[in-house]
Amino acid sequence: MMISDIKSRPIYRDLAPEPTASGHLLVVEGETLTPALLAAFASAFGPVAPRLHIWLVGGPQDVGAHPGRLWRLGSLADVEDSLSCASRGFGIGDRLYVSGTEPFLWRVAEAAGHVGFASGQIQLHHAGSLRRRVWCTHCHSITDDVTTHIADCAGCGRHLLVRDHFSRRLGAFMGVMVDAEAPGQVPAREEVFA
Amino acid sequence: MTLAFKPDETFRGDYTYRNSDAAILRFPFPFPEDRYMYSVNIEPHTRSGPTDVFRRPFDVDEHYIAECRDKAITLERDPSRCQALPHMMLAQWDTLELLMESLAADYPAHFALIKEGDDFGSRWTWINRPLGIEQSFIFGNPDTLPCEPFEYITRQAQGDFAICDQRDNNLFMDAGMVTSQADWSLAFDVGMSFMEWHGPVPLAHQAGVFERALKFLLMLRLGQPMRRLNWTMTINPRLDTSPESYPEWGPDRASLTPDNIGRKLHLRVELQTLWRLPRSNAILFPIRCYLASLDELARVPKWGARLHRVLSTLPPELVDYKGLTRFLPTALDWLAAHDDGRELPIGIEPGIATLTPR
Repeated sequence: MMISDIKSRPIYRDLAPEPTASGHLLVVEGETLTPALLAAFASAFGPVAPRLHIWLVGGPQDVGAHPGRLWRLGSLADVEDSLSCASRGFGIGDRLYVSGTEPFLWRVAEAAGHVGFASGQIQLHHAGSLRRRVWCTHCHSITDDVTTHIADCAGCGRHLLVRDHFSRRLGAFMGVMVDAEAPGQVPAREEVFA
Repeated sequence: MTLAFKPDETFRGDYTYRNSDAAILRFPFPFPEDRYMYSVNIEPHTRSGPTDVFRRPFDVDEHYIAECRDKAITLERDPSRCQALPHMMLAQWDTLELLMESLAADYPAHFALIKEGDDFGSRWTWINRPLGIEQSFIFGNPDTLPCEPFEYITRQAQGDFAICDQRDNNLFMDAGMVTSQADWSLAFDVGMSFMEWHGPVPLAHQAGVFERALKFLLMLRLGQPMRRLNWTMTINPRLDTSPESYPEWGPDRASLTPDNIGRKLHLRVELQTLWRLPRSNAILFPIRCYLASLDELARVPKWGARLHRVLSTLPPELVDYKGLTRFLPTALDWLAAHDDGRELPIGIEPGIATLTPR
């Protein structure tokens, strides 16, 4: 089975704040935040800084200069809770920006969808590792932090070829048993999503 | 019309599925020309067509009872094959109404629908004689059926069904009953947009095929259904070639030999139809699967020769995508003996009225 030029794979871009939006929320996966990325955020979000909140999830203790108001959250679960509990709620004039690894982006996007953000209100920016969340097409388990093109399923143990077919709802790539047609013939693993 | 069902045939284990002569002659053979052509090939789903399978909105054939049983086995093993997102309830009732009315109108010897009114709240009684079902329920009230309306009616129909919600100038696959699919996963794809669920298909994206198809489908009109054929090849007459069960059927691809390929290799044709639904404005997308072995197809001389020619011209990307790589050379060798090189008429009809006895 080939890994092809599959079109369900999202394309990520640099974050571009919409100047006319009423509120801006930037959710950042802390471990992916480099000084260069912070500088890029400071430049891009400078014009909207008075209406910007940053939720920093884990990561460095000392962030240094940054635009807007910074809030620290411990984990992705806290982001999900905070989105659903945000006391004033979010409206159609608000914009959400998310920066981090692919599994992080889509878990935040899904939680935002539950509290009423439309897809046009959300921008996603990939930062950090290319490691993948993989969904086993045979047992439907999720295997996290996959960096090789073949991975062992955390659920059923089968050797899965990691395809490029991507589900936004699951935030995961499809994994398909690599040796189903010729049991035992498993190609050597290559580190491709470092 | 009264059908002679073959209730005991199987699509797994001992694979006793076979086509009668009449079933072979009505097969929706998908290749009108000698060369393989990649196209959307969509046309109105009218009550006419080159073989009998095209002539009713929802075709029922001799395999009906056995196929419904195979579907029940698959659902028992993997309930995720039937899913409907919460906002799809109106489309579920639309689907139930369309199927019950069509089946009752086209096959009165086998199905009947008695309605005390057309609107939600009316009492309806559904009779399915082949499966021995008689069910009274209140149209619009899911609590009066043994399961949700979409699952209820599609358990009693051959083939797969997807329902696409239409919003934001796009289609989203927000419900499905998928037990006889050519290697795609409803559990993975449910909720996806049109471009996303077609993501893995090679070549057509570059050709702009999906943009045009989507634009066309968004304008699909009530009462004017459309249809197209799609195809692949399957080893053994197996309906459940899902990715979920790939570890079970994958090894079959390495099992073909020159001696068994005529019996084991099947052309798998999907008659796909597209229906605008009246209340929900969703699109119902039935995918009806027909299987015929090379042995069966070659009994129609035109089809044996044409299949040889079409498979010889298949682009390598499609050979890979359809999973034919391991056995295509063996299949071409087998088919070459059925191709004498003579000119074949354009069109998919068999060109003969009876088959020569074997």
